[in-house]
Amino acid sequence: MKRKVMAIVLATAMAAGLTGCGAASAPTEVKTETETEAATQTAAAGENTLTVWCWDPAFNIYAMEQAGEIYQESHPEFTLNVIETPATDAQTKLTTAATSGDLSTLPDIILINDSAFQKNVISYPDVFVDLTDSGIDFTKFGPAKVTNSVVNGKNYGVPFDNGAVVNAIRTDVIQEAGYTIDDFTDITWDNYITLGKDVLAKTGKPMLSMQAGESDLVSMILQSAGGSMFDAEGNPTIVNNELLVKAMDVYAELVKSGVLVEVNDWDQYVGGLTSGNVASVINGCWILASVQTAEDQAGNWAVTDMPKLDGVEGATNYSNNGGSSWGITTNCKDTALAFDFMASTFAGSVQLYETILPKSGALATYLPAADSEVYGEGQEFFGGQPIYATITEFAGKVPSINTGVYYYEARDAVSTALSNVIAGADINAELKNAQDTVSFQMGK
Amino acid sequence: MMLKEKQNLTGWGFLAPATLMIAVMSFYPMFRALILSFKTGIGTGMTWSGLYNYTRMFQDGVFMQALKNNFIYLIIQVPIMLILALVLATMLNDRSLKCKGLFRTAIFLPCATSLVSYAIIFRSLFAVDGFFNTFLVKAGILETGYNFLGNPTSARIVIILALIWRWTGYNMVFYLSGLQNIEYSVYEAAKIDGASPFTIFWKITAPLLKPTILLTAIISTNGTLQLFDESVNLTNGGPANSTITMSHYIYNMSFKYVPNFGYAAAMSFLILILVAVLAFVQMKVGDKRD
Amino acid sequence: MIKFKSGMRYIFLSIVSFLSVFPLLWMVMAATNKSIDVSRGRLLPGTELVTNFKNLLASQNVMGAMINSFKYAIVLTILSLFICSLAGYGFEIYHDKGKDFVMSIILLAMMVPFAATMIPLFQMFSKAKLLNSTAGFILPTISVPFLIMLFRQSARSFPHDIIEAARIEGLNEFQIFYKMFFPTMRSTYAAAMTITFMNAWNSYLWPKVIMTDEKSMTMPMLVANLTEGYVTDYGMLMVGVLLCTIPTIIVFFLLQKSFAEGITGAVK
Repeated sequence: MKRKVMAIVLATAMAAGLTGCGAASAPTEVKTETETEAATQTAAAGENTLTVWCWDPAFNIYAMEQAGEIYQESHPEFTLNVIETPATDAQTKLTTAATSGDLSTLPDIILINDSAFQKNVISYPDVFVDLTDSGIDFTKFGPAKVTNSVVNGKNYGVPFDNGAVVNAIRTDVIQEAGYTIDDFTDITWDNYITLGKDVLAKTGKPMLSMQAGESDLVSMILQSAGGSMFDAEGNPTIVNNELLVKAMDVYAELVKSGVLVEVNDWDQYVGGLTSGNVASVINGCWILASVQTAEDQAGNWAVTDMPKLDGVEGATNYSNNGGSSWGITTNCKDTALAFDFMASTFAGSVQLYETILPKSGALATYLPAADSEVYGEGQEFFGGQPIYATITEFAGKVPSINTGVYYYEARDAVSTALSNVIAGADINAELKNAQDTVSFQMGK
Repeated sequence: MMLKEKQNLTGWGFLAPATLMIAVMSFYPMFRALILSFKTGIGTGMTWSGLYNYTRMFQDGVFMQALKNNFIYLIIQVPIMLILALVLATMLNDRSLKCKGLFRTAIFLPCATSLVSYAIIFRSLFAVDGFFNTFLVKAGILETGYNFLGNPTSARIVIILALIWRWTGYNMVFYLSGLQNIEYSVYEAAKIDGASPFTIFWKITAPLLKPTILLTAIISTNGTLQLFDESVNLTNGGPANSTITMSHYIYNMSFKYVPNFGYAAAMSFLILILVAVLAFVQMKVGDKRD
Repeated sequence: MIKFKSGMRYIFLSIVSFLSVFPLLWMVMAATNKSIDVSRGRLLPGTELVTNFKNLLASQNVMGAMINSFKYAIVLTILSLFICSLAGYGFEIYHDKGKDFVMSIILLAMMVPFAATMIPLFQMFSKAKLLNSTAGFILPTISVPFLIMLFRQSARSFPHDIIEAARIEGLNEFQIFYKMFFPTMRSTYAAAMTITFMNAWNSYLWPKVIMTDEKSMTMPMLVANLTEGYVTDYGMLMVGVLLCTIPTIIVFFLLQKSFAEGITGAVK
């Protein structure tokens, strides 16, 4: 009896496997998340439809869907198909499709991290559409932001979210030590460390936390002074880079004095902020979304600019970390539609940015949006401070640098050097190693 | 003789579907990857470069570090894990034990537990203010919290512990199923004869489980040399590349850095060669039909 | 049997079990708490389970992913077990120099990191128009060297006199396989089924490459969606992770008796 049952199970399974091939294109009928009528296949997207890959329903996806609705008002026949694709997955899919030469699986529009944009354009020149003459006005975006998606003088990306660095501080904690937010505004790192030591002594709380083995803060300091790990030709300039040495010295000093504590992962980093174990955070402005999940701390936060390097000409209090831009792929059958869509939404609609800001906190790099009233509204969480206008203003002052095609290689190599320096190694020798590693990986 | 030939043909018939699928789904792509490993370049722009990638990897400091890390994991973790799995399997095979189902399921759970939650937990357990440090400080062993994931040696130990934690139950499953082929009465008889548990294990259990032990040893060697998840999710290769694995570096080379697929493929083939040599040695030692 | 003092062995097993279960317990606790409490390290049950679950349903297509994952995993497990056990049996029972050689070549197939073969494989599947399909999901892992070897090793303890007896009774070779070998090797099948189901259920890299359509999404892909973003909702994430873990645990729990408690009237 049992054997018979098993034989039947096997037989049906075989049949299911076979029909599985045939019925493949008709997957189970389930409701799709996006409100628009989803086209079944990206490649087979119909007329007046654009397919988009992006991630984060509360942020990028929300923004894209709002853009779709705005465009629909003037183009009722337009449909937008947003497919939730995490950044790492999008990279894997893009790489696989581009390398195998079959671009038909790609969407029309794809969101890419700024730090990976140039790398992808250079590695897969056939994938991205040149937007230079697409009618999109790139002068309306922060210049440092636009640079991220420019390759050989051509624009390949429509800038989206802002990575301008903020210095967000727990006002109640620093008040305990006798300071106000003004004491931390427009200062240098030397001032900051002095203040930080005092806050630590009086409240027992470190000012900052950072993920161990990540060179984010060093990169932010470097860019704030106009420095980069690459020169204009893209050659690594890690060794003998005076600004980099200074930035690393600052970091090492922060760790040594206890003003900065290193944690092991992102969850602990966010946990430290929300549980009030650290007094402040310096990072891309998107970190504020995490900060604001601690509702019980409402009214106790304020935003200011980051410290600048001492004694360096051209050093500023502004920098950038993170952010992303939209690219249009060559799989897009109707580039005119895609151009028009982008030009009338992300690159032309203050209304869009006004809509998405309150719910998602998605900050524009689209400069005209900064003048909007919505941006000027005081935020209760930050004690009534109009932080969005403030941050947009910061964004306009960030020095433009060449982050480099080999950004991730340099970042990892410098992170390694940084870990070793913290553990006591010689900084110049470590930077030499880092430079060698990057040069090696670049094949030089 | 006719019969023998017929059976021989049937034998080939039995293994044809599986072999054919492997040829198409594994060997063909491997062949393509092999060709790729003789080319170099960025992304889709590849040119022939002969053995360049193969000589290059030995000058690559990060890759050499990864190779070393992989071998540290292999040498320490695999034996401990397999012995522990054997001990647990023998204990759980005892008919007098109560709640066997619960214990078995519990010990198997780690490999079913999602990587996401297990990585978060391991990292927080070993955090400076995490459970272990709190415990050690309270017990008076440490004065202040120690950053386990911030020191090369202790970070490697954490990875090894995590691996043992995750895969012991997995291997135990095969031992348990292998033990079913041993008649329970054999044990009973041995016990009555006054054989010690240790003797029973060495004289009865181990020899009969030999094929299964060989299998798990090869699988674990292979798994450890291709280790990826733990390096990425627990330590992200750090501190300063002291825990990065070869597969992690290959992944970076393909999907994080400016892609160089030729180089990535060449490094993959080094892993193949290493595993193949080790598996060959293990087969020579353990795969005899007696 | 290693005979611990009876009490000792319960203590030992209890400790090992607790250590093994701990992360799962944490996950269950976390699923009942608000995101902010999870990130603050709260270890007590909370009251947010329903809310977290609703949030998850609202942001992700859980039903669709569940159905897909079950469909792929079940089809793959059954086909894979059939093909691999047939081969493993064939390699052992009819073994000769030629087949032993083929076996060792087959083992090579599992030794190359998937990252290296993924791109050529993708090319094949996109040319064959198998993206976003069940066939696309299962074909690359339908024949697994490891499973073949598992069945080959266990066929080694399958007594040859049974085969001879069956032949005399007039059973053909395939009948011997499925009337004699298959029922006798129930414990090996159960173990293999558990492992194959788990691997299929958790498989991630390949599905994420070939499943470009949102409708083909699997549970691990859904969980990955939850971790990507500027803010992670840990409570919701843990509900997702829990949903993604439960099926494997159930499969294990149902099958464990079969592979661990022997077969009455076993061979030998």
